[in-house]
Amino acid sequence: MTARTLAWTSFIAIAAFVLMAASRLAILDPVENVTLDVTSPLQTGLSSLTRPVADWVNNITDAGALSEENRRLREENERLTNELARAREESVERQAAEDLAAVKQQFPEDTFLASNVVSRDSSNARAIIAIDSGTSDGVRKGMIVVSEGRSLVGTVTKTFDDYSWITLITDPKSAVSALVQESRSDGVVSGNYDGSLVMDFVGQGAAVKVGDFVTTSGVGGRYPPGVVIGRIADVQKTDQDLFQKVHVDHLASLSKLERVLVLTSFQPRTLERPE
Amino acid sequence: MRYWTGAVIAFFLAIVQASSVEQFKVLGVSPNLLLVFLVAWLVIRGLDDVLPMIFVAGVTFSLVGLQSPGLVLLALLPVAGFGVLRELHVVHSDLILVLLLVFAASLAYELVILGSIMATGGPLDVSTALRATVVPAAMVNVALAPVVYGMMRFARPAQRRGQLSF
Repeated sequence: MTARTLAWTSFIAIAAFVLMAASRLAILDPVENVTLDVTSPLQTGLSSLTRPVADWVNNITDAGALSEENRRLREENERLTNELARAREESVERQAAEDLAAVKQQFPEDTFLASNVVSRDSSNARAIIAIDSGTSDGVRKGMIVVSEGRSLVGTVTKTFDDYSWITLITDPKSAVSALVQESRSDGVVSGNYDGSLVMDFVGQGAAVKVGDFVTTSGVGGRYPPGVVIGRIADVQKTDQDLFQKVHVDHLASLSKLERVLVLTSFQPRTLERPE
Repeated sequence: MRYWTGAVIAFFLAIVQASSVEQFKVLGVSPNLLLVFLVAWLVIRGLDDVLPMIFVAGVTFSLVGLQSPGLVLLALLPVAGFGVLRELHVVHSDLILVLLLVFAASLAYELVILGSIMATGGPLDVSTALRATVVPAAMVNVALAPVVYGMMRFARPAQRRGQLSF
């Protein structure tokens, strides 16, 4: 190893630690904002160009999963058709009116800011996206982000002047206080390295079943209550465990998000310990 | 001049990696074109040539790829360490050396990223992390390596004139 090689290697190692420290202290925020300003049109253009090819490749490699999903959707379609037929007999119009009222009640006076996804974290372990709204648009750290269908997408974890980073609910460092809508059993929905969602701390006696809806509980003050996260896909329960392990399918299509809504009217609260 | 060329290529590859390559999912992970390119460059041009490229690629990718600036730089640094193997001539076939180094560098890269997540509050679910990201990423990168290496060898006139080493 030559002296030049050693010097370069040391320089890179030192630069890495200096950059990490500078990032922690938010010294690099203006640089990151300008970099995204300059490169985001190029990134968006490249992304649009390669998306059809990527979809084609992904469809080929996911053939097995697509076949399984197709089978599951057929079964679900059959079940939903049966439910629909029953619901019609039980006065559909009255039920639909009640559902609509419930949705309106969920976000009565909330304001949303529509934003475009401009970049995605390209590491395999994290689930972070960047949107084209920042502090200049009123976005603040801790605000929650939902899909256009109003299901939970994630939380704003870093803000710049014109951009913000959203940590998705599937990220390994994400944890959301949640409850099962039907049984009101609560727990914590967290992401994992494989992109799955698991609801932990659900008591052994809690009545949860596949297909139940999981929503935010509002406990802790970081999320408003009643935002839909997903549906239960699988329940693992053994006599030896203290808690059931509940796998949740998120409703929002997180890998293909192009546009999201930031709930700007919600300010997260930090609860203090009682005296 | 050669450093500038390499730095410009590394800069654009970092943007391509951040904007396009992440859309391609094989075995549930995206290939790391940037890492494969740097390893292939290391084998073809040597350690002295690849070090400035690691710096440019790492900084650019950190800034456009939504990762903590410096972390990618740190994760790419083992490429330099593995470069010593090239100097020692322990493997005579360049292609096999590329495959071995890509596999090792990919494992190191993913483990550094994983270590940073776990150190800052991520779940300590090592088996899921290895199964879902680290090992698949290394395998996908190895599958991509012959294509990248072949293209780079072909792009060098001196190599096209009969010095190809597979």
